[in-house]
Formats: sequence, C-alpha cells, structure tokens
Amino acid sequence: MESENKNTNDLFTFAEFDEMESEHIAAPRYSYWRSVFRTFFKSKFTVAVAVILLFLLCFALIQPVYSGYSPIITPNINNPEMKFLKPSWEHIFGTDHVGNEVFDAVWAGARNSIIISFVCTAINMLVGIPIGAIWGFSKKMDKWMLEIYNIVANIPFLLLAMILCYVLGAGMRSLIITMCCTEWVFVAYFIRTQVMIIRDREYNMASKCLGTRTLTMITKNILPYLISVIMTYLSRMIPSLISYEVFLSYMGLGLGTTNASLGQSINLYTSYMKGYPHLFWIPVGVLAIISISLYIVGQKLADASDPRTHM
Amino acid sequence: MSKNTNDREVILSIKHVDISFDVGHKKKFVAVKDANFDIYKGETFALVGESGSGKTTLGRAILRINPCSAGEIEFEGKRISGKISREEDRNVVRNIQMIFQDPAASLNERATIEYCVSEGLYNFHLYKDEEERIAKVDKALQDVGLLPEHKSRYPHEFSGGQRQRVGIARAMIMDPKFIVADEPISALDVSIRAQVLNLMNKLKAEKNLTYLFIAHDLSVVRFIADRIAVIHLGEIVEIADSETLFKYPLHPYTISLLSAVPMPDPIVERTRRAIVYDPSKLDQSGEKRELKEIRPGHFVFATTKEYAEYEKKLEEIEREQENQD
Repeated sequence: MESENKNTNDLFTFAEFDEMESEHIAAPRYSYWRSVFRTFFKSKFTVAVAVILLFLLCFALIQPVYSGYSPIITPNINNPEMKFLKPSWEHIFGTDHVGNEVFDAVWAGARNSIIISFVCTAINMLVGIPIGAIWGFSKKMDKWMLEIYNIVANIPFLLLAMILCYVLGAGMRSLIITMCCTEWVFVAYFIRTQVMIIRDREYNMASKCLGTRTLTMITKNILPYLISVIMTYLSRMIPSLISYEVFLSYMGLGLGTTNASLGQSINLYTSYMKGYPHLFWIPVGVLAIISISLYIVGQKLADASDPRTHM
Repeated sequence: MSKNTNDREVILSIKHVDISFDVGHKKKFVAVKDANFDIYKGETFALVGESGSGKTTLGRAILRINPCSAGEIEFEGKRISGKISREEDRNVVRNIQMIFQDPAASLNERATIEYCVSEGLYNFHLYKDEEERIAKVDKALQDVGLLPEHKSRYPHEFSGGQRQRVGIARAMIMDPKFIVADEPISALDVSIRAQVLNLMNKLKAEKNLTYLFIAHDLSVVRFIADRIAVIHLGEIVEIADSETLFKYPLHPYTISLLSAVPMPDPIVERTRRAIVYDPSKLDQSGEKRELKEIRPGHFVFATTKEYAEYEKKLEEIEREQENQD
C-alpha cells in the first residue's frame, strides 16, 4: 500500500518492461536477390558498362539478321572502287579487300563468337558444377576422378582441338564440341576444391546430425555459398572462350571460311595491317570491348552475390 | 545421494570406447582412451576437461560423426557405434540431437530460420501438411523465446544468444530423448549465458530430456549438472555426483581444475591459489590405471597405490566435515 502511494506521488513511475520486445529485429526484412541487385546497381560505372554490354550483345545478335552477311557472298569483288574504303558515314567501319562492309563482317563475327562462348559456358557449367559438387563430397569418386583429371589436364588443348576439327570437320557444332569435351573437367575440379573447403564446416555437420542427405546438403548448404565463386568463374570463362574461339579460328581450326567469326576476320585482316590498319584494329577493338565489359559486369555480379557486401 | 544409482534406467552407455585419428602414415593419435561410463535417463551428465582433452570427440562419437576404434556405445540397450543398419542410423538421428558450440558457424547463413529449424522435419517428413510444419516451427521458436515472425530472417540478423536458441529449437523440434550439448555457452556473451542455461533446464523439465553437457568451465557445470566426469588427455580421471565432486575432489587434476575457478568474492579471491597439475607426482610404477569406485557413484582413475592414498585422503576430509557439522 505504501509503495503504491509513493508511486502516485512521485514524479517517476515504473516503466513497463516487455521481455519479448527485445527479441524484435529492427532491420527491415531481407531478401537475398533484391540485395544482390541493389548492390549491383549502386555503382554507376558498372551500370554504364552493363548498358553498353547489353547494347553490344543485342546489336550483335540482331544486326547480322538484317545485313545477311556471309564471307562467301562478295558482290563487289570486281569493283576496285569499293575495296579498302576508309571509315566514313556511308561505310561506318570502311570496306575490306573484297569490297564487303567491315561493319557487317564484324557484327556477324561477333554474333557467332558470342553464341559459341555462351553455349560452351552453359554446357561446361551445367556438366561441371553437379559433377564437381558430388566429386567434392565422395571420397570414392575422388580417387578415380583425380586420375581422369590428371590425364585430361595433360593433353595439350591445341593438339586435341586440331584432331577434333579434322575428324569432325569445320563448323559451329564441332567447335562447340571441341571447347566442351575437356573444359568441363576443369570446372568440376574447381568446384570440387571449393566444396572441400566448406564441406566440413560446422553447419554441415549440424545438417548431418539432423539426418540431411548428401544431395540436399549440396543444393541447400554448399551451392548457395558458392554462388559468388561460380559467378567469378563464369565472368572469366565467357571472355576466355571468346578468345579461344578467336585463337582457333586464327589457327584455321575454327568455323571454316564459310562462316563469319571475329577470329576469322582478325585472321583475314592481319595481312593488311600495314596499309589499312583499321581493318585489323576494328574487330580486335570489338572483341576487347565485349570481353572487358563481360568481365567487369561478371565480377561486379560476383561481388554483389556475396552477402557480406550487402550491409 | 548416489545410493540409488543402480536402480535408475541407463539411457546411454559408453563401454571401453577408444577413438583415434590417423596422423600421417601408420601413425595414430588416440583422442579418447578407454572411456567407460553410463548416463541415466533424465539426468544432466557433464563432461569437463581442458581443450584438446577429447571431450568433443567423445560427444561426436555418440552422434556417429567420429567412429570408435574400440569399444561400443549403446543407446537404450542397442549398439549405435560401428556399422548399423540405415534404419537404426535414422533412429539415432531422431533420438539424439546436438547443440553446437559456435552458433554463428553452426547455422547455414544462406538459409532462412524457417528452413534451419524445419530441416529435421523435412528429412523425416514429420508433418502431415505445410500448415502443420509451420505450426511446429512456430511452436519450437516460441519454446525458445523467439518470435514466429523471425522465420523469414537469415541467421546473420540475429544476436549470438538468439542464434544459439535457434540451434536449440532446431534440435528440439525432432523431439529427441538425448541431447549432446557441446559447450553451448562458451561462444556466448557472459550476459546471456544464464538465459541459455535456464532455457535448457526449462526444456529438460518439460520434455523429459537427458543431457550430455560438454564444458570446460566448472562453475557452469556445477549449476547445471547432476553428475560430472572429468576428462584429461583422453582419459576419464574422475566421475562423481556434482556435489560430491566439489566437496571431495580426489584426483590431482580435478583439484587443479577446481582451484582454477574464480570466486566472485574479492577477499577469497585474494587468497585463492591455482594449483598446477603435475602428472609426474603420480604413481610412476607403470601399473595400469583403472577407474575404481571409491564410494558408491564416485569413481577415480588410479593405480592400487594411488587408490589407497585417495582412500586415506577421503577419510580425512570426511572426518573433518563431520567435525565441522
């Protein structure tokens, strides 16, 4: 009674205390993918590069459909006035040794190069990641997969590419097979190492104690952690495969003379480098811009997909 | 106090268990040597020792993470160590759960709390429909003092104590009979340790659980444990009721551990002297030591000569106690 009286007379009253109140989390609700994109779009430079990349990709995919360019169609081959024209408003990138538009040739080439590298990357990743994930978990599989890796990794790539191109003939399909038949092993090996690093962490042991099967553990515990690593790998793989394609075409092993490709163009135009350097530098420049912007966007996406960068 | 230990139901029995790890070629490191004790239903059994003494290894062997190189572990009379059928393995998972030391490391950071808590439910399909699963998760979260709205959150948004409670909820949702708590409060802030310990005690009473509580801190163990085993370099040196162990410590290692407990009293603390354990002062005759029952329920690891010494010492302390009373 006394204390009650005291309370009412006092200037101070007891504050009510709710224990559950302290359990609330003040931070707004968190969505992983929304945070990824928010982090990605924070940098204006990356957004600019992404816009350029998107524009280049669309242009490379759409422009050749309208131009209908093919290296074997040469309507101006007997018209010396149309050959080796300097870049101008009429001929944006100028014309080449057979009087064709370099502009058309470059974009048709870029289109094929991009398609090949994207398809190869997709195949390599789709095959390599699941195999690598299981490889990292299974000790039995590790034994013989390592031997396969040792053998495959020691075959010189150029030798293999030459043999396959001669056996399968030139063309897009054989080029894709060449660039996929061994590359997936490297992806799988990379993923295997990554899986081994986080396989024995405590949260995986906790999952095991709860009776989680290995397959669920791979998809729920391991792969989500690897998103950023895989994105980094992806962002390096696409440009490197474009360079591979260019390299193989330059060696005369690629798509063959009937198909346009950046490598083909660079190969053809190298002989005119002294007199008409723009012929050489334009396809090289387009290749460089596509590769670099793919790399920058990929790296930034990889960074953004790491939740440690979110807060 | 420990007179009726024999009529109590044994839930987990560890029988002469050795656990060793391969170190390089043909070399072996024995982490646990000849561990031999029973855990009774409904008690909290504490395993205390310094880091590297093999206490976590033993705890993990019960959960079948570390294989035993010798001996057997029995749960409710059935062998659960070594090769057992898939069904029995699932049974072990359902009935024995673990609370981990580091709540930050033991939760999947890329999964929501809802997934973390219902992982066990998914694995054993312990629900009829989505509604029941969500109801179970809500209940488990409320049981540990968390809110159902936390389900959609990620572990990194929680405080250490909250995360540890998520870890407890995840184990409790399986309705286990036995829980191995591997230093559940060592990674927590001092201010929330009591909260987690009280929660564990509350859940134990509600769900009739048995705990194996692994710790290095004797003051915590005194608060929570019914019986204590002291382990040193893979060997269990003393087992006793918790009050007995604190009153009549016999093995020099136990005495040294007890002397290291800080007292929250500046006057006592000033005179407290930490006794350093020196194994060279033990009987060096080369006789194999064994766990011997010196009083009912009180075991000590000793040779025959040491046993006689301990016996003498124990009688002395008991006489002193009687005189004091």
